[in-house]
Amino acid sequence: MADLTQLLLNGLSIGAVYALFALGYTLVFSVLGVINFAHGAVFTLGAYFTYLLIGGAVGANGLLAGLQLPLALPFWLALPLAGLAAAAVALVIERIAFRPLRDQGADPLLALITSLGAGVVLVNLIQLLVGAESYAIPTTALAGLPPAIRLLGAQVRTVQLLLLLVAAALLAVLSLWIDGSRSGKALRAVAEDPTTAQLLGIPSGRMIQIAFGLSGFLAGIAGGLVGLSVSIAGPYFGIGYGLKGLGVLVLGGLGSVPGAVLGGLIIGIAEACVPAELSGYRDVVAYGFLFVVLLVRPQGLLGRVLPTKV
Amino acid sequence: MVDATLLTQMVIGALLGLSVYLPLRCGQLSLATPGFYAIGGTLAALLSTRVNALGGSEPSYPISSLLLEMALAGALCGVLASGIGAVVLRLRGVYLAIATIALVEILRVTMLNQEALGGAVGIFGIPQPFDDPADYALFTLGLLAVICWLCDRLERNRLGRAMAAIRDDELAAACQGIDTERSKLVAFVLSAVVAGLTGVISAHFLNSWNARLGNFDASITTLAFVVFGGSRTWAGPVLGGLVLTALPELLRPIGDLRLIVFGLVILVGPLLLPQGLINPALIGLVTQRRR
Repeated sequence: MADLTQLLLNGLSIGAVYALFALGYTLVFSVLGVINFAHGAVFTLGAYFTYLLIGGAVGANGLLAGLQLPLALPFWLALPLAGLAAAAVALVIERIAFRPLRDQGADPLLALITSLGAGVVLVNLIQLLVGAESYAIPTTALAGLPPAIRLLGAQVRTVQLLLLLVAAALLAVLSLWIDGSRSGKALRAVAEDPTTAQLLGIPSGRMIQIAFGLSGFLAGIAGGLVGLSVSIAGPYFGIGYGLKGLGVLVLGGLGSVPGAVLGGLIIGIAEACVPAELSGYRDVVAYGFLFVVLLVRPQGLLGRVLPTKV
Repeated sequence: MVDATLLTQMVIGALLGLSVYLPLRCGQLSLATPGFYAIGGTLAALLSTRVNALGGSEPSYPISSLLLEMALAGALCGVLASGIGAVVLRLRGVYLAIATIALVEILRVTMLNQEALGGAVGIFGIPQPFDDPADYALFTLGLLAVICWLCDRLERNRLGRAMAAIRDDELAAACQGIDTERSKLVAFVLSAVVAGLTGVISAHFLNSWNARLGNFDASITTLAFVVFGGSRTWAGPVLGGLVLTALPELLRPIGDLRLIVFGLVILVGPLLLPQGLINPALIGLVTQRRR
């Protein structure tokens, strides 16, 4: 029983991160129909912002060597601030890499390339500024909380529990907002058809910005949480999560919010079930799922089938 | 400024660009090129280092063995691609792109974990068919010329025009009696063969091979070649591959900033030239002059 609880919690906490990641993709995909490949870089930035805000010092290899912000915020304050900063970056990416293409009426697939370019710039900018070394967000940032607690006979790291709770709270708030509020409805209308939404008086451009801002915020929070739970393995560490997020996205159904959550949890638990001697293949789980789902049920678990139109 | 080694790298870039271009010619965004490139490279690395009959222990690796490896890699990639293509080409647009990304990642992780396929360390000491980098450059240029010629033939014949029709409107093309499934599959298989052949040369040229050479980054760089150069005709990806491979090397003097500049080029390129460098307007201009 204890082993099972442990396994489930491990799976759920990593799955929650994937879900946050996939939600960011889904928000942008639902309004624009394209994948934002700079999303992984925004996630990475969120982790670095969190590290800096809690008063972490930059190592010796970047242009900012030795920099330390003159503040040491507690983690619970640093995390949302880092999320906001990441949201600001996502808005800049929208302005530079997405909006000009939309204004020109260019092929939406081009946004794949431009967002990728934005991602390459961001990742290398991080490397230039703070170097390629890994950083760890010390768990002492969680002042007052014990490092681990016992739950149903299993030893659970507080960080994992925190990850799970924060992710669950964010997902709940987001679903409530999308389903219940006026602006959430406007977002869904834009996702359905931007032109018609515009004709009905919904500011499509503004809703797209909101989608980008939210997706950046979620990515930033996810980055900070992973930085605390694992560590920041260098400027490239978001790319692997970004690719797995794609798997989660497809598994749940492109553009579906509950699908992204379900997909994240399924892949997280499936990865946790991979035995230690096969751990090298753990990364294949998400892609294997993705491949099979695309072929068997291309609309994803909770996606909708759209008819082909002439 | 451009020496034989860099020239070879540039030509390899152009070949990979052509491999991404072929499916795009019928409107299919496949990012599987690095996967087949890795299959070709791994096959060449294994054959030339493990099979003594090919002449790996001789002072200079026989060209005939190199050609044999290329034939085998081409055949293997072609067969694999016709099987995989029959399944994945049912997907469209961004779904196809994601499925092929997954394919590349599955291949990469498998190669990384299978010691027999090189594992995490890779395969070293791949024998050299050419002593002089200039010979590598000549050989790859020869291959590029042949493939460009074939692409040019393709673009002018019935199949190539069918592909262009599918790119412009798949439904309309199907209504005119074009076998869209078959045309897309042929493009996918050709793309895989070109990538496999390039992998073979690349493995010998690089002297060592590891699974990281066929990763997601490679999908993106090769796609950037096509977007930057343009996807209307074969000259686009060739130009894109040559220029974008050379760019990071030529930017080496600015050191750490070079990858940032590279990213900016990918970011700004499509904004300024949505159709790529070799775009319809330019093609129209050139053909008009000729008349």
